[in-house]
Amino acid sequence: MEISGIGAQRLHLAWVSSAEAGRFTEVVTNVTESVRAQGKFDPQAFALELEAAEIAMSREFLRWMVGKETSIIKKGDVYGRLWDAEKFESALDSVLEREYHKCLILCAIKQGSTSVRAISERTGINLGRISYLLADMEKTSMVTFKGMENKIPVFAAL
Amino acid sequence: MENFEPKIVAFLCNWCAYAGADLAGVSRMQYPPNIRTVRVMCSGRVDPLFILKAFKQGCDGVLVSG
Repeated sequence: MEISGIGAQRLHLAWVSSAEAGRFTEVVTNVTESVRAQGKFDPQAFALELEAAEIAMSREFLRWMVGKETSIIKKGDVYGRLWDAEKFESALDSVLEREYHKCLILCAIKQGSTSVRAISERTGINLGRISYLLADMEKTSMVTFKGMENKIPVFAAL
Repeated sequence: MENFEPKIVAFLCNWCAYAGADLAGVSRMQYPPNIRTVRVMCSGRVDPLFILKAFKQGCDGVLVSG
C-alpha cells in the first residue's frame, strides 16, 4: 500500500473476538475516522498502480515467499540455514518492492510507454532502476527488446 | 469535503469479528454506518487480490478483521 502510494492508512487489520461488541464498535469508529481523514479514493488516478499490484500479487513469486515464511524461520531453508524473522521480513520487503516495480514497468509498456525514459515519466521510478529491472524482466520473458527507434532502445511486453 | 462519508469494505471472520458485529447490533450499540460487510469463514480466506479489487471498484478503505 505504501510503495504504491495508495497509503497504508486505507487498509486496517484488527482482531476482535465474538464476545467483544464494544471493541468492534471502537475499531469501526477508529477505522472510519482514519479513512475519512484520507479523503476520497480515486481508483482512476491509481489505475496503473492497482493493475500492477494485482499482477504482482497474482504471480507465483510473492505467494511462494509468503507461504514459505514459517518453514524458513522455524525449520530453515533448503540449505538448512535458519533465518531470523527480521532478516526474512526485510528480504520479503525488498522482493515485494522489486516485483511491484517490475509489474508497474510491464503495465507502462503495455500502455505504450516503450522507452526507458517514457517508462520513468509514467511510473516515477528512476532510470537506473528501470534499466536494471528490464534486464531482469528480459531474462524471465516478461518483456523483450524490440530494437532501436531514433537511437533509443524500445521494449515490448510479452 | 465536510460531509464526506467514506465507503469501507470490511472482511469479517464468521467466528470472531462478524459475531462481534452481530453482538454489537443485538446490544444496540452505536457505530458508524460506513462499513459494508463481507462475511468470510476465516480472515485467512482474504486474498490480497480481494483488497485490490475493492479499491479498484472505488471504496475508500478496507478493514480485515478476525
